[in-house]
Amino acid sequence: MSEPFEPKIVAFVCTYCTYAGADLAGTSRLKYAPNVRIVRLPCTGRISPMFILKALQKGADGVLVSGCHPGDCHFTHGNYHARRRWMVFRALLDFTGISPERVIFSWISAAEGSKFADLINSVTEDIRKLGPFDQYQQLIKETESPATL
Amino acid sequence: MITQEKYRTTVKELLANGSIKMAIGYRPGSTSDRRRPLFIRTSEEADQLVLDSTCITNLSGYLVTEGLLSDEKRVGIFLRPEGIRSINILAAEYQLNVDQIIIFGFDFTGREVRALQGQTTGDFSALLSEIRENPPLATKEPLLERIEKMNAKERFDFWQQEFSRCIKCYACRQACPMCYCRRCIVDSNQPQWVNTSSHTLGNFEWNVVRAFHLSGRCVQCGNCDRACPVNIPLRLINQRMAKEVVDGFDHFAGLSPTQEPVLASFKKDDTETFIL
Ligand code: SF4
Ligand code: SF4
Repeated sequence: MSEPFEPKIVAFVCTYCTYAGADLAGTSRLKYAPNVRIVRLPCTGRISPMFILKALQKGADGVLVSGCHPGDCHFTHGNYHARRRWMVFRALLDFTGISPERVIFSWISAAEGSKFADLINSVTEDIRKLGPFDQYQQLIKETESPATL
Repeated sequence: MITQEKYRTTVKELLANGSIKMAIGYRPGSTSDRRRPLFIRTSEEADQLVLDSTCITNLSGYLVTEGLLSDEKRVGIFLRPEGIRSINILAAEYQLNVDQIIIFGFDFTGREVRALQGQTTGDFSALLSEIRENPPLATKEPLLERIEKMNAKERFDFWQQEFSRCIKCYACRQACPMCYCRRCIVDSNQPQWVNTSSHTLGNFEWNVVRAFHLSGRCVQCGNCDRACPVNIPLRLINQRMAKEVVDGFDHFAGLSPTQEPVLASFKKDDTETFIL
């Protein structure tokens, strides 16, 4: 008997906005899909593209990256730097065959608990439709080290 | 031939009057169409200098050799326009001081070699702007267009096939003038970001990281592509990323020694249509 596919999503979020937004979603008792594993970082500027590769390497079907809206960064411009990097990295992934639908970027403020819940739901649904990232999983298998996610 | 002779004389003169301590150029290699780097310190060595249409390697990476420029003496170097761009990037990233570099510029059309007028990077800024406006036609790659038309699955398969051949020799890194980090991210193991084994996943990660770190810095000199022993078309990724930074941020790498590196700067109104 095969179990229905449940996407594994890793979310890299900044502590000042999106993590606080996720917190708000929780304290407001909003229900959202349990498929996301949140990793909290000090700032979007700290979210290295290496993290995204690492998440995929460990078997993620999708990655979400989120932080403060432009102008709201706790460190004034970490998210501006991040934005440029994401744009370039996203294009690179796209060019090498990792669909942009699997790596999603968003701005979620500390007040946007419901946006957080909605986004997690919609991203989970989208990736459920895409299905497991078989091609990557095949490569992970060849390495003979387990996908630990 | 005439250009070669003229440059031999110039190098000898500059060495003799002490304006430069060394010149970096080309000498014959193992076959008639290969060239090796030549480090000229004496006038006899200058006689070995060759300059023809097979001198394609971008030599600028030798300038960041540890200690070479630390005595603040000047070094001359033979460069094509891409090489001049890499000097500008190295200067913008504080890896060298352009005042210490004397450029012997050259380029060729077909087999015809010609000298480029100028000695310092500033002298070539008009030429570089011109290249930016009218990139040489030779850069059109039919394969690139084919990849652009593929869907994600096909692209993944295409690159997986290419990268599966990679043997992780890091020749692409060693050959690249922009890869000067003393400790490359693939050599770090605390934490280990990239799988170091030469399985396809590790190869994929390595190549993605290499391309990312060169985005907005690569001048498309082709050193990496020629160095790759298994002929992975690295130039295609480089070209795609160069296009991305030109289209996205209007950034043509290496225009001047004071140009801000594209991923170390930002504009408040950078595009963000992809961010939800
Ligand atoms: S990545 Fe390749 S083409 Fe680009 S600068 Fe480095 S060696 Fe030259
Ligand atoms: S030169 Fe080619 S084979 Fe060697 S590490 Fe680079 S891509 Fe791999």
